[in-house]
Amino acid sequence: MKIPISLQINGEMYQVQVPVQKTLLAVLREDLALTGTKNGCDSGECGACTVLMDGRPVNSCLILAVDAVGKQITTIEGIGGIAELDPIQEALVAHGAIQCGYCTPGLVMTAKALLDSNPHPTETEVREGIAGNLCRCTGYVKVVEAIMDVSRH
Amino acid sequence: MSYSVVGQSVPRVDAREKVSGSAIYTGDMVLPHMLVGKVLRSPHAHAKIISIDTSKARSLPGVKVVLTYEDTPKIPWNSAGFPPSPGAILVEDQYILSDKARYVGDGIAAVAAVDEDTAIRALDLIEIEYEVLPALMTLERAMAAEAHLIHDAEKNIYGHTPVVIGDVEAGFAAADYVFEDTYYVPKVNQVSMEPCGVALAAPDRDGRVTIWTSTQMPHLVRRITAHALGLNIGQVRIIKPPVGGAFGSRLGVVNEPIAALLALKAGKPVMLKYTREEAFLATESRHPISMTLKTGVKKDGTFTARQLTSYIDGGAYATHTPSFAGPVAGWFLAMYKSPNIKVDNYSIYTNATQCGAFRGYGNPQVVFAVESQMDDIARKLGIDPLEFRLKNHPCAGEVWLWSGWAIESCGLEECMAKGAKAIGWSEKRNEGAGGNSRVTTGAAGTKKRGLGMGYMMHVSGARPMLHETSAAIVKINEDGGANLIYSNSDCGQGSGTALTQIAAEELGIPYEDLVMTKTADTDVSGFDIGSHASRQVYSGGNAVKGAAAVAKQKLLAMAAEMLQTPAEELVVEEGQVWVSHDPSKTLSVAEVAHAAHFGSHGHQIIGAISEEPAGNPPVYAAQFAEVEVDTETGVVEVLKVVAAHDVGTAINPAAVEGQIQGAVQQGIGYALTEEYRCDLETGRPLNPNLADYKILTSVDMPPVETILVQAASETGPFGAKSVGESGLVATAAAIANAVYDAIGIRFKELPITPEKVLAALHERKES
Ligand code: FES
Ligand code: FES
Repeated sequence: MKIPISLQINGEMYQVQVPVQKTLLAVLREDLALTGTKNGCDSGECGACTVLMDGRPVNSCLILAVDAVGKQITTIEGIGGIAELDPIQEALVAHGAIQCGYCTPGLVMTAKALLDSNPHPTETEVREGIAGNLCRCTGYVKVVEAIMDVSRH
Repeated sequence: MSYSVVGQSVPRVDAREKVSGSAIYTGDMVLPHMLVGKVLRSPHAHAKIISIDTSKARSLPGVKVVLTYEDTPKIPWNSAGFPPSPGAILVEDQYILSDKARYVGDGIAAVAAVDEDTAIRALDLIEIEYEVLPALMTLERAMAAEAHLIHDAEKNIYGHTPVVIGDVEAGFAAADYVFEDTYYVPKVNQVSMEPCGVALAAPDRDGRVTIWTSTQMPHLVRRITAHALGLNIGQVRIIKPPVGGAFGSRLGVVNEPIAALLALKAGKPVMLKYTREEAFLATESRHPISMTLKTGVKKDGTFTARQLTSYIDGGAYATHTPSFAGPVAGWFLAMYKSPNIKVDNYSIYTNATQCGAFRGYGNPQVVFAVESQMDDIARKLGIDPLEFRLKNHPCAGEVWLWSGWAIESCGLEECMAKGAKAIGWSEKRNEGAGGNSRVTTGAAGTKKRGLGMGYMMHVSGARPMLHETSAAIVKINEDGGANLIYSNSDCGQGSGTALTQIAAEELGIPYEDLVMTKTADTDVSGFDIGSHASRQVYSGGNAVKGAAAVAKQKLLAMAAEMLQTPAEELVVEEGQVWVSHDPSKTLSVAEVAHAAHFGSHGHQIIGAISEEPAGNPPVYAAQFAEVEVDTETGVVEVLKVVAAHDVGTAINPAAVEGQIQGAVQQGIGYALTEEYRCDLETGRPLNPNLADYKILTSVDMPPVETILVQAASETGPFGAKSVGESGLVATAAAIANAVYDAIGIRFKELPITPEKVLAALHERKES
């Protein structure tokens, strides 16, 4: 059974028909072609699917699309395109903090929320802040350096 | 030697599209009329299939194809992306779907349906009757004389790789001490963040099939897939979009043949995407190995004999295993000099998921064992562990037993010296036998600190065991920019960026003006082995440099004509050509290229090459770890890792550091937290998910200090060697040795969990 809902994503309203059990992640990727948000586990364990809901990072694989109605959703597509990256994204590029890039969109969203609420975190706060975003490529070294760097500016 | 872009940490070519979420991975793609594929997996580790009834599934609306073994070509194949050179042993024991369940997760049937829900419901409707057989989950049970046979082979032990140099028995007789120890390393999973196993297959109008797949080896996957389907190689086209991490897991065929067969039968595109659980259940992991080391040594620290006997648990299908046994011997042979060496490696079938490549290809296993024992030997002899290793390792100019060739360059001594200084080796290490830690912390002195180290050597390709073919085409465009056409098998490691740097450097144009093929496409680029054996920068780099050199030669010949100066007197750098003794006589590359296309000539300047590199220079590393062991909880905390690596010339130092840092995360996991476990009676996996299979998070990671030593190779592009795999090879040994230094207990089995530490401390107290 599909029901019609409206979702506010990156400042735009989208009308979609979704089964009640469909996750926000699946709707973003399958119905709206917003594929920057990745699926690494579909069960809340990796953070690859992180989006912001009213400014707070959430695992979109754990949220039903119907529960996102009335919230402001921000996905990676909503912060900076290739031509005008967010300072966090510029820092990740400059520090060589991206390898396969599969964890990167989720990480950008978490880092964004972290710095929005705490513009000058300590390294420990950064590490704790991104602990839900698993990365298998970087050992987090350059990721943490990049976030610390951008927080200093 | 100064270069313009080689040696610079330029941002990776795909950084901006990845960081902005606009890079399109295979799993992000959609094609018109695309169906969803799903595989029905065996719940039993070992079972005969008595009957399968697919009629209900077939009649479910929305289901387009249902396949079982009956519907697959009866062509056995081997999934390993191992080129069929003379050194390969490729036992063909796989089919696209199985006729017998040999592990929990073995693919028994497959469906393609209009959407995922329908596909899952169709799987539920397939009725299978099994006759359950005993699950052989351990080496002992699989090797037992009365064990059920997993395949139609005489025994479950199906491979033996012996190596004999000299006479080890005579060597042991001549030794002052003989050490004999058995080590065991468990199964661990690569855990690329993009789950392993994602392919989109589409029948082409011309009767061919195109497969977009997240792979390390486009050309070898084309080869194996074509064979499994009974097609000609040209009927299969493989395209590799960006890959979300690989680390060996995609070193060969994963699910491309099933996806292709579903698509061909459906006449429509099929997306087959494994879940995280399936990536654990049904794709290759690192081999568990039981290794017995016997080492004879003189009081002065000279070896008289070295022996390795290993039992390799390859799981339910042969894939890499019998071939893999060769490098396992190679790692062991190459590490230390001894007049007498013997190796016996046995390949064994068990009812676990098949094993394959995971960063290091046997080297992490061997180095853990060898370097653990070396630590014990050095302590026993009272020799400094660094001195002991420097005395016995093969160095530049000496023969490297892995390849049989002379070693081109060796930076180990510098790695040792710099690494030791960075970790505080001489100040912080506990002298002599452990257990009397100088550094204790915690309220009651219950936390004990220690230092350990391990050394390793690794390859820059797999020559001479295998050919290391690569092909590259460099074409200079009419505006002076250039395209590099190469089978870009970058899976995240950054090889695409390094190869772009190499081509731009050789050609003499700005880095920004050279564009490399973003993907690999077997219809477009020449044959390339792919990303294995840390080969991309060395082997691929040589081909890329060669193609750029050919293009440059043609460019200079053209410029010579225009400047009326012999080509030998011309230089090209940063997009400008000039006469070396008269820089006022100059032309831009753009002017020359334009003239070639549209002026006095009518051709494009193109350089093309297909070759393999001249050598296989080994890389070296010394890794150091400082740990703190909590004797009340058993928790081992790594306080710091220093990774000093001789990589040859670092083409992109930031990318090289990133490779090492990421590998260290995997190495610490190997040492302390990671183990893919199953129930030993039923074979059911116990932790096929990221909640229970523990990889390190950002808060678990200690500081990692990377030190790059650049002992340039003779045969590498601009002196490059390799880095990809080596960053984790010595990590577990360094940590195990640090744990010994802290508490005086030798762990011979990974991972070193709190339970094992507490049990060992308890046992010591009892005795
Ligand atoms: S995909 Fe949502 S947490 Fe992994
Ligand atoms: S960059 Fe590959 S998982 Fe983070």
